[in-house]
Amino acid sequence: MRTRRPEPHTLAGAYALDALTRADRARFELHLARCQQCAAEISGLHETTAHLAVAAAAEPPAGLTQRAVAAAVRTRQLPPLTRGTPSPWPPRRRAAAAFAGPAASTPADGPFRRIWLPRVALAIAGAMVILAAALGLASRSAQHQLQQDQLHSHAIAVVLTARDAHMISARVSTGGTATIVMSGREHALVFAAAGLAALPSTSCYELWLMGSGGDQPAAMLPPPQHGMTGPVLASGLKPGERLGLTIEPAGGSPHPTTPAILRIVL
Amino acid sequence: MRLDEGRPPHEAGPATGEARAGELPVLLERVARGDRDAFEHLCQQIAAPVFGTVRAVLRDLPQSEEVAQEVLVEVWQSASRFDPRRGGALAWVTTIAHRRAVDRVRSEQRSAQRELRAAAHTVAYDEVAETAQANLDAERVRRCLRSLTDLQREAVTLAYYGGYTYRQVAALLGVAAGTVNTRMRDGLIRLRDCLGVER
Repeated sequence: MRTRRPEPHTLAGAYALDALTRADRARFELHLARCQQCAAEISGLHETTAHLAVAAAAEPPAGLTQRAVAAAVRTRQLPPLTRGTPSPWPPRRRAAAAFAGPAASTPADGPFRRIWLPRVALAIAGAMVILAAALGLASRSAQHQLQQDQLHSHAIAVVLTARDAHMISARVSTGGTATIVMSGREHALVFAAAGLAALPSTSCYELWLMGSGGDQPAAMLPPPQHGMTGPVLASGLKPGERLGLTIEPAGGSPHPTTPAILRIVL
Repeated sequence: MRLDEGRPPHEAGPATGEARAGELPVLLERVARGDRDAFEHLCQQIAAPVFGTVRAVLRDLPQSEEVAQEVLVEVWQSASRFDPRRGGALAWVTTIAHRRAVDRVRSEQRSAQRELRAAAHTVAYDEVAETAQANLDAERVRRCLRSLTDLQREAVTLAYYGGYTYRQVAALLGVAAGTVNTRMRDGLIRLRDCLGVER
């Protein structure tokens, strides 16, 4: 389901103030990477928020600097970004993980089962590309919606064509197969599924990014068309996160309310 | 005007109390090469705005201290990623600090405490200013914030000092999310022009 999203450009203020959710932030950054004018504006707005920070300056607790220095000594520094600096995500395919069932008492990430469904996966990926292209062409009465769709399909295309894009497939425990194409470089993934169990109108499928910082809603899945669900973009990925799928009351939930029916280690 | 460049040190407030104009980028460059003395010196310059910003958002003192330390270590860790062509050094640091504070708040949003907090009060700039160190920048910011419309000012301060998302700000102020977005951008632009920030 594509909810109506604000024009990325109007989000510049909210972005500079960190008033965007992680998903919105990632989406805006995707836009930022392609909009020089926006980058210049954000730079000026960040200089402005720096004034807000300095205005809030407060005497730090005694020993803060010493503790930071002591911790820094034990912390390896990041190399400078150069052309070809690898992204923090492993570039190769990772094992897909699926759960035995919603009531399974297995620990969060295991046990993993390696599932290879190359033909299904390729078929879904191909369909994703076609769907992504079709999104921009869908006839809509509102020009605004059309622009949103084009942006959405553009964002999907960016992930699908990323140099480090790779694919993972897994079975959904309640039925169906999910395939994702993810790019660590773009901090985003594209999700699609085939044959998901039909839900009553009071429920929906919701995607989550599950990490140490808690479970963040990533996207709600639209109703299937011809047995295919998606493609849906989830952005704002962080290293070490997992993708989860749950069944939620229609309209979605801020936090998962049912056990995950799919978990994929990203 | 960038805070850390081209400005006499006495105007820079506690953030850069002893910093000479342009000293922060130079320190960061040395930090990127693993210079611990430079890092200690840098920390002394940035600890007050980092800690103050984090505390404004988190409120909780032990947590603020923990996050402020994480921010300083992150500055050490990623100093090589600072690109002076893309902005000032202090803005780079405070952006990291604010984002970490906000991330921390949102990762804990499940707690009922946070819900209560959201319902119980709105974060006024004056409240932050009360506990902040007296400095010239605070006075300028206060003056410039007064030149914003009420909605612009509330949207900006609730987001920055309150750590709320624009949707939460919209709910708190009882206006549409789109309106809040526009006010945040317009408010920041007006603030930028009032402060004479270099673009």
